[in-house]
This record gives sequence, structure tokens and C-alpha cells, in this order.
Amino acid sequence: MLIVNLDSARGALVQEGRELLAAMEEALLAIETEGYTEERVNAIFRAAHTIKGSAGLFGLESLVNFTHVAESLLDRVRTGELFVEGAMLSLLLTCGDYIGSLLSAVEIGTEAQEPDEALRAWLLTQLQEYLDGTASDTAQEVAPFDEPYARVDVLQGEPVSSDLWHLSWRLSPEVLRNGMDPLSFLRYLGKLGRIVYLHTITDRLPALGDFEAEACYLGFELEFESNASRQEIESVFEFVLEDCLLRILPPHSQIEEYLRLIRELPESPQRLGEILLQSGALTPNELDQVLTRQHAEPQPAPPLGTLLLESQLVPQPVVAAALSKQKQVEDKRNHEQVFIKVEVGKLDQLINLVGELVIAGAATNLHALRRDMDMVEEAAQAMSVLVESIRDASLSLRMVAIGEVFQRFPRVVRDISKELGKDIQLLVTGADTELDKSMVERLADPLMHIVRNAMDHGIETAEERLASGKVASGSLRLNAYHESGSIVIEVSDDGRGLDRQRILDKALQRGLVQPDQSLSDAEVYRLIFEPGFSTAEQVTNLSGRGVGMDVVRRNIELLRGEVEVLSEFGRGATVRIRLPLTLAIIDGFQVMVGDEHFVLPLEQVIECVDLPPQEGRHHLINLRGEPLPFLRLRELFNIGGRASGRESLVVLQHGNSRAGVVVDQLVGEFQAVIKPLGMLFQKSRGLSGSTILGDGRVALILDVANLLQRASALSVGTPVRVSAGGA
Amino acid sequence: MAKTILIVDDSSSFRQVVGIALKTAGYSVVEACDGKDALGKLDGRKINLIVSDVNMPVMDGITFVKAAKQLPAYRFTPVIMLTTEAGESKKSEGKAAGVRAWVVKPFQPPVLLDAVSKLILP
Amino acid sequence: MAVIVQREEDASHCLGITGELNIYSAATVLQELLQALEAHRQLEIGLAGVDDFDTAGVQLLLMLKREAARQDKPLTFVQHSAAVREVLDLLNLVAELGDPMVIPLEDGECLS
Repeated sequence: MLIVNLDSARGALVQEGRELLAAMEEALLAIETEGYTEERVNAIFRAAHTIKGSAGLFGLESLVNFTHVAESLLDRVRTGELFVEGAMLSLLLTCGDYIGSLLSAVEIGTEAQEPDEALRAWLLTQLQEYLDGTASDTAQEVAPFDEPYARVDVLQGEPVSSDLWHLSWRLSPEVLRNGMDPLSFLRYLGKLGRIVYLHTITDRLPALGDFEAEACYLGFELEFESNASRQEIESVFEFVLEDCLLRILPPHSQIEEYLRLIRELPESPQRLGEILLQSGALTPNELDQVLTRQHAEPQPAPPLGTLLLESQLVPQPVVAAALSKQKQVEDKRNHEQVFIKVEVGKLDQLINLVGELVIAGAATNLHALRRDMDMVEEAAQAMSVLVESIRDASLSLRMVAIGEVFQRFPRVVRDISKELGKDIQLLVTGADTELDKSMVERLADPLMHIVRNAMDHGIETAEERLASGKVASGSLRLNAYHESGSIVIEVSDDGRGLDRQRILDKALQRGLVQPDQSLSDAEVYRLIFEPGFSTAEQVTNLSGRGVGMDVVRRNIELLRGEVEVLSEFGRGATVRIRLPLTLAIIDGFQVMVGDEHFVLPLEQVIECVDLPPQEGRHHLINLRGEPLPFLRLRELFNIGGRASGRESLVVLQHGNSRAGVVVDQLVGEFQAVIKPLGMLFQKSRGLSGSTILGDGRVALILDVANLLQRASALSVGTPVRVSAGGA
Repeated sequence: MAKTILIVDDSSSFRQVVGIALKTAGYSVVEACDGKDALGKLDGRKINLIVSDVNMPVMDGITFVKAAKQLPAYRFTPVIMLTTEAGESKKSEGKAAGVRAWVVKPFQPPVLLDAVSKLILP
Repeated sequence: MAVIVQREEDASHCLGITGELNIYSAATVLQELLQALEAHRQLEIGLAGVDDFDTAGVQLLLMLKREAARQDKPLTFVQHSAAVREVLDLLNLVAELGDPMVIPLEDGECLS
């Protein structure tokens, strides 16, 4: 029994299956919008085919059986027996969804339970209807694991005394060229029992002039001791059955069968008689009987060509031992992907860099041994450059294109627009923008919600659109791009836009704002992210279920990101999500206040300027004609003492807003490995994490978005001039 | 020295499982993700057996086997082709290319191991 | 790849085959061995270095043996490698192709 730990491979199966389903869906949608091509149908077929193949390895019968039927249908499409039309596309899309749910069950170890019996039955019926409509025989759910053999031999007459199997085997000249070595099959036969006697027949070796070294001329007569069934023995030879003559006589076969055997074999009865006698297959007496009958019933020798075995036997795959049952209760709390697909190029680059690092390390050691400090410094320099490159390269392994998230939306938009009775076009741009893999997974749900919301509430019906002078079909755009160390993802629609008044009314009604409060548009729009806020008058199937944009905001904030809405009434709205590129390491800019170290994300640092001591007592300065709010870290974190020399102003940007922070000292650039703050500090003002400095001290990483908000809140009073230039 | 098997299949999870099974049984394994990739692996190294899927992107299994049989060092290498019940027409094409051993997908690892050990023992 | 090394020893011409004796090398090896047989009155072929031996290899040895008998020249195979012995045991051909100086044991193992 083969014992293999396949747990890790199950994860790979699930991931790969999902990718294949995505490719299948993409191809189905492409057929729907752009028409049938062979390539697309092949892609769909291959997806079903590959999933079935891999699932089979794990003995996932439910998955195998279902994909088999879908595959059969797709095969008919591929061969042109069936034509793809709208209903079939919808059916196949739903099949893809169902297969996805089976994969999910595999992922969490509940594949023994049927996720949706009714759906499965319905889909199978639908698929079968298509299959029944074609001329070929109907595809049944395949049961590949336990098909019994059908053949039973009925024996009558006089049995011989030998209790061994007798095998006669003659090979066609071609077997060796086809890569089949008779020796291998004989060795394998040894697994089923014991070869008691074997006679190699060399009679067919030709004269030297006719001999081809690559042709096979041998034959074998075997006496075989085994408890195996005839089918099991026969299955040993399944790959050469077409290229050989094989006769298998069970123990105690009838004299008649030996007679038939001798007639069918190419050698003379006398020669075969000798071998059978020598091998113990027949006693002298039995051989006599055979030969007597042979003479009594003269038969023309059959021509050699007909001697090849009639292929009346269908070899079946040997029953596979079931793999040990997976543990039913697996840890269900965390199904984040264990595997990540990495572009080979990225990996190669990393490996190269590590190789260089190894060499540089050796060089450093050498120089250190020689006490050559100049060279050591140089080598250390080279190493730190390499370490930085390796950091970048390994981080890039985690980066994937956001297209991985976007790719599911064509289907979503198609389905939702059908459901809503709206005609909505989807435009996807920036799909190759990369972001951290862990974010991709956690971004999917919030994005889905935003998209649904836009389609449901944002985009109007065709009539409304026409009435307001727009084209009948609405459009939805998914866009992504990089901007100052962040990735920005936008969902835009050309619908009715946000209704400021309605949001305000609702907010008043819910007590979220006071009647006398004056709010900017942005502040009003931000209200839709408040818990429990939903303005939809009609609760539809799609959105407006109470859980709303507040969940979206929470999810995005968990990723250290932020979300905002831009809107133009009557023209459309854009939801903009801004996320950090990665969650693990940042390029930091280190500053000091008193003895405390702080790190600012370098990408958000615009410039540094000297702040003259007498300036900046207020929270707003004039920087080259622009008012800039700022705050002092010393005040924010209650750090005692005074700045000894000149203070510096670090200008920060986040999104569209800018502000400055005042610090005592600028230290320089620094790579910071982010360590999360403990529970105690999670709500802390303006902090996003901590990091360990080269000398072992702790530095706090500042949350720029939060600092900016604070700075603008503080900025009251008149701007004062900053006379200094850049630092 | 362990016998070496070249596995050609576009599914990486498939290759992984089959690879584990074969290695556990004592074979060495070389993997390729399609026919073209597989031809690249036929670079003079000793390959005792090829296990190839039929349906693959870039270069399908039949085309690959035909090409492999043109390479002097691999012209007699045994091939196990993985097929589907639906693939009868492919089968005759494969036969013409010299393929004799077929294993019907889907299967569980012991089935393939069994087929492999009929052609070569580890 | 098969490599054939030749040397003279007493009256006998000795050959040693190293490497593959299989379908890939059978045709060329056979030609070389036939030439050697042609050129000498007596041949001793050492198989100690044969590490890959298949049906094509078996047939080659059988053909050589037959050809030597036809030319009435003594031909012996000696120093069979483990790979060769395994095949000859399996095919029950030790009597034809085995080392005449070695007495096969019960379990098929050879003294060498």
C-alpha cells in the first residue's frame, strides 16, 4: 500500500482548480460577447479535463463524476456535434460555480458532504439533455473506481492435473521499438505469484543477414503459480496485448484447451509438446491425449496474421486502493492560501542575488581575516546593496497583478446586469498593477460589494438614462494604478451619482449629524461608510441588506488602507481605495525628537525644510505660497525637553492632502521591517507600527494619514512665512 | 541508479501528486508542463519512461511524442499516455506515433504506479 | 553508450563490454563483435561492465553464440554483471549464455 502525504498537494489542487475555473469563465464570457473560437472552447474543455484528472488522483469522486459529465458536453462542442448558445453558456457558467463550491469543500475537508444536492441534480439533468440530443451514446456518470470484470469462463470436460497457470506468449517484432521490453512484464508478473518455470523460445531468431537488432523475435512459455484471477494476470500484459499473442490457461484446464493452444501457436506440435512436457504443464499421458486428438482432427494451420490475440478483453484499471480518509474536522478558521504562484523570472532573480550574496559574504570574511579594513568596508557596502536587492526581490514574490481580483468581475457584472435588467458595460484598466498577494484575497469581498452597490444604486435603468440624456447602457470601470507608494483601486460608474440631500436627510434621521452642522460634500459622502447607513429606498436582492459600506471601510482599514467617494450628481461616482503596496517592509525615513526615534514611510515624504526657531508657533505655515498645516511630534507624543538646534519640517503627502511634522533631527533613510503594535497601542494616535533599529532600539512608525488629519484639524490661525529653503 | 521518469502535464498539482507517488516508489522524476517544455528536458539525460498527458497548451502530448521519437537518444523510450474515455480518436493517432500504454484519467496514484511498474521497475 | 575494450590473453581474444547493452547500442555492438569473431579463432567476452541489459541485448548474445557455432569457433561469455545475471536467470538462459566455468547455485546466484 502506497502511503503518501497528499495534504499539501490538496491545497495546490484547490488553487489550481480555481485558476482553471477563472480561465473557463473568462473563455465562456468571451464566447458570449465575441463569439466562438476553437481556442476558447479548448480552454474550457481543458479546464474541466484538468480538474477531473487532478481530482481523480485524490479520489474525489463527486468532483470527478460531475466534471466528467461537463467534460463530455464540452467534448461534443469541441468536435462540432453541439453548438454553443446562450442557454448553454449560462448552464456552463453555473457548472463552473458548482465546481467551485466542490473545490471549496475540498479545501475545508468537507468533500464527503454534498454542498448543493438540488443544484447538482438540476445541472446534471440539464447537461444530460444536451448530451441526449446528440447522436452519440449518452454519457453516464463515470464510476472509475470499482468496475467489475464481466467475463466468466465456463469450463467443461477433462481437466489436466497441473495446478499451475500456463502462459504462452509470443511477441510481435515491433514491441521493442515501441519501448516495451518483455522483461519488464515478466518482472511485474513476479508480483502476482511465482514463475515456476520459464522457457524462452528462440526459434524465430532469423539468419544473421535478416536479423534486426531492434526487432523482437522471442517467445515464452511459462508455468505460473498464483492465486490471482485470470483478469489480474491478463492485466499485466495490457500494454502489449495488441502486439503479442497471449494465451492464458488456468490451473486444471481442459485437455481441449491445450489442444487449441497448440493449434494456435506458431511452433510445431512436437516442439510445443516437448516444452509443455519439460515445463510440467502436461504429464506424458496428457500430452499423448492432446497429440492424438491433434492428429484426429486435422486443421489447417492458421496464418500468422490471425494469431494476434483477438482483443475481446477490455482491460480495466486495477482497482485502486482508496487513499486514507481525510480528517473531517480540519482547522476551518483560516483558509488563507498556503501556496503562492511565482513567476519563474522573479525566482531566478532572487536566486541569482542570493548567489552573489554568498560570494560577497566569502569576500568579506577573507578581507576581515586579512584585517584589511578598507576592503572590509567596501565588501560590507556591497553586501548591504545586495541585501536590499534581495529584500526587494523577495517582496516582489508576494506581489501579484490585481487582475487576479478583477478577472471575476466580467462574470459578476454580466450576472447582476441580467438580474437587474440593466445593460451595463464593464471596462477594466490597470489589471497588471501589482499588489501584495495577501491583500488580493482580502480585497475581493469589499470590491464585490462596491461593484454591486454601483450597479444596483448608481447606474440607472435604461429609461431613466435616456430621459436624462445619457446613452442607454451604463458603464462601470475598474481601474488600478500605483501612486506614491500606494496602490489605488477605483470603481467608477456613470450613474446618477450620490444625492447629497438624501444622504443628509438619512443621516439626520439616524442621528449621525446635527441639523445645524455644515458639512462639505466630502464629509457628507463619507457618511455612507457609517455603520447601518443605507439609502436604498428599495431593498433589493443584491445590496442594501443592512451590512453596507461600513463593512467595506472596516475591511480596507484592516489592510492599512482607506476608502473615499467622489461624486458628481447626475454624472456618476467613483469609490477610491488606497492601500499600501505591501504589509511587511517599508522604506522608511528616520527622524528624532529628543531621544526618541520615529520612522516615516519614505514614499510619503515630499521634502524636508529647516524651520527657523521663531517660526511655526501656529499650526499653519506658508510654504512657497501654499498654506501647509503642520504639527509638532514633541507635542503630539508629550516628549519633554526642547530642541537643541534648528527644528526641521518634514512635508508629508497622503492622497491629495499634505501636511508637515516638526522634528528635532533628520537621521536618514532606513529600511523598516514592520512589527505590529500590541493591542494596547492599536488605537494610538498616529502610529501604525514599530520597528527595530540597527542598534537594537525600537522606533515607532508613524501613520501619515492620521497625522495629516490631526494637522489639518489643528490648523487654525494665520499662516506665517517660512523663509528657509529645502534642507 | 534510480530509473528516471519524465512527467508531462499542465496541471502542477497533478505533477506534484504523481511526482510524490513515483518518488516514494523509488523513481527519479523530471517534470514538464507541456510538450515544448518536455522536449527541452530531453537534453541528453537518461529518461527511462515518459508519462504524458494528451491535452496540454502550447504543445499537445501526441505532437510531443512524435517529436521525441525523432530524437535518437529517446526513440525507444517507453511512453504512457494519459487519456480520457472521450479520447478514442486521439488514441489511434498516438498509436501511430508508437504509443502503446494508455492510462485513462482520472485515476488514483496506485493505478499509475502499477502501469509504470509494468514498463519499468524502479 | 557501450564501450568495447579488446586485449589478447593466451590463445583467446578477450573483449570487455562496458555500459549499455540494449536496444540503443545493440546494432553497433553486434557489428563490432561480429568483426572480432571474424578476425579471431576464439573469443571471450567479458560482461562485467554491462549495467543496462534488455531483450535486445539477450537476442544479441544469442545471435553471436549461434554465429560462433556456425563458424565452429569457441565463444564464451564471462564475468556477467548483476544486470546480465538477473535477466539470464529470469529467462532461464543461464545454460546457453552463462559462464561455463561458473556453477549456478540453487537460488540463482552465481559464483564469480
